[in-house]
Amino acid sequence: MSKKISEEEYRRRMLVRMKQWINGEKDPYLGNMEIVPQHEYVPNKKKLREYHKDLDSVHDKAYDVEHNRIYRFFMRFYRVAALLCCLALISILLVEVSYLPPVGSSHNPSNNEVAAKYIEDGLQDTGAVNIVTGMILDYRAFDTFGESNVLFIATCTVLILMRNDKKKGKGSAQEEERRDSFYEPKNDSILQMIASVLVPVIIIFGIYVILNGHLSPGGGFSGGAIIGAGLILYLNAFGFEKTERFFTEKTYKWVSFSALTFYCLAKSYSFYTGAHHLESGIPLGTPGAIISSGLILPLNICVGLVVACTMYAFFALFRKGGF
Amino acid sequence: MIILKWTQFVIGTCLLFLGILTFLVQIFGVFKFKYVLNRMQAAAMGDTLGIGISLVGLMVISGLNFTTLKLGMVVIFLWCSSPVSSHLIARLEAATNPNLDKFCEVDENIRKVLDKEYEENIIERKDS
Repeated sequence: MSKKISEEEYRRRMLVRMKQWINGEKDPYLGNMEIVPQHEYVPNKKKLREYHKDLDSVHDKAYDVEHNRIYRFFMRFYRVAALLCCLALISILLVEVSYLPPVGSSHNPSNNEVAAKYIEDGLQDTGAVNIVTGMILDYRAFDTFGESNVLFIATCTVLILMRNDKKKGKGSAQEEERRDSFYEPKNDSILQMIASVLVPVIIIFGIYVILNGHLSPGGGFSGGAIIGAGLILYLNAFGFEKTERFFTEKTYKWVSFSALTFYCLAKSYSFYTGAHHLESGIPLGTPGAIISSGLILPLNICVGLVVACTMYAFFALFRKGGF
Repeated sequence: MIILKWTQFVIGTCLLFLGILTFLVQIFGVFKFKYVLNRMQAAAMGDTLGIGISLVGLMVISGLNFTTLKLGMVVIFLWCSSPVSSHLIARLEAATNPNLDKFCEVDENIRKVLDKEYEENIIERKDS
C-alpha cells in the first residue's frame, strides 16, 4: 500500500521546491522576502539647476589659472612630477630587462626539473604523443577543468546581462534581432550556397582536431573554437529558424552541464588523492593510435563541447538575447 | 637532381615574393583609397590573389607530399570564403548608402531592386 500525502504537503517538500526552482516555475524569494517596488527616477529641475550653478561657480573659482596661484603651481608641478615618474618607471623596467637571462640559455630558471620530467616521462605516464596535451589534460587537468568552468561562468554572466525573455510585442527578442540586422542582406543566396558547402567541412575539421588532440597539435580548445565558428557561419547564413531546430537553450544547458560533470567525475580521483602514482584503471594503449592515452581523449571531447557551445551561445546572446 | 631542386627552390621563392608584392599593393590600396568599395576591392585582391600565389609558392617548395595537399585545401577554402565576405560588405554598403550614384555607376535594374528592398524593409520595420 502506497503512502499517500496531500497535494499541499507534496508541494512543500524540499525536492519538489528545488525542481520547481530549476525549471523556473517559482521564484523562491517571492512571498518570503520583502521587496520594495522600484519607482522611476523623476529629476527635480529646480534643484538640478541650482546644483549645476554651484558646481559651475566652484569650478570657475578653483580652476582659474590667472588668479589661483596654488592651482597654477600645482599644474606645473603635476606635469614635471608626471614626467619624472614616467622616466623613473621606464628606467626601472629597462634596468630589470637587462638583468633577465638570455633566451634559450640552459641555465635559465624555466629550464628546471619539471620541464625535464614532462619531456622525459610524458609519453610513458600519459600515453599522449603530443606532450602539451598530456600536460594540460593529465598532469594539470585541474587547471583545465577550471578553464572550462570559467567559460561556462562567462556564458552565465552574459546570459544574466543580455537575456531577453519577452516572446511577443514591443522589445521582444525577435523584434530586437530584426532591428539590429535591419540592413543586413537576408537570405543571401551566395552566402547560403557557400555556407552549405563550407559548414560541414569546418565542423568535420573541428572534430578531427579534437579527436587528434593527443596525437597532433590541437585539442579541445582549438577544435571547439572551429566548431563554434562553423555554427556561427550557419546561423548567419540561414537565420535562427534553422539553428533552433537543433540548438536551443536546453541543448546548451544539457551539453555543457554533462560535459563538465563528466570531466569532474572522471578526474575526481586524482583531484582528491594528489594526482600522482594512481592508476586510472584504463589502459594507456599504444602511443600514436587514436584510442590511446586513457582519459585524455574523452576529456578533450568534453572541453571541445564546452568551448563550441560557449562560442555559439555568446554570439546568439549578443545578437538576439536568447537562442 | 641538384638542378631540379634548385629550380624548384627558385620558382617557389619567386612566387612567394610575387605574393608578398601583391600584399604590399593591397596595403597601399587600402590606405590610399577613400571609399569603402574601392578599399574593399584592394583588400579582397590580397586575400585571394596574394595568398593564392604565396601558398602556391610554398607548395612548390615543399614538393609532392601531404603538406602540399593541405596547403591546396587552404587555398580552396580561402578562395571560397574571402570573396563571399567581400560580397556581403558590398551588399551592406549598397543597401545602406542612399547616395550610391555619387560614388559609382549604378545600373537601373539594380537600382530598382535596391529601392524595392529598402521599401520592404521600411514596411517590415513599421509592422514590428
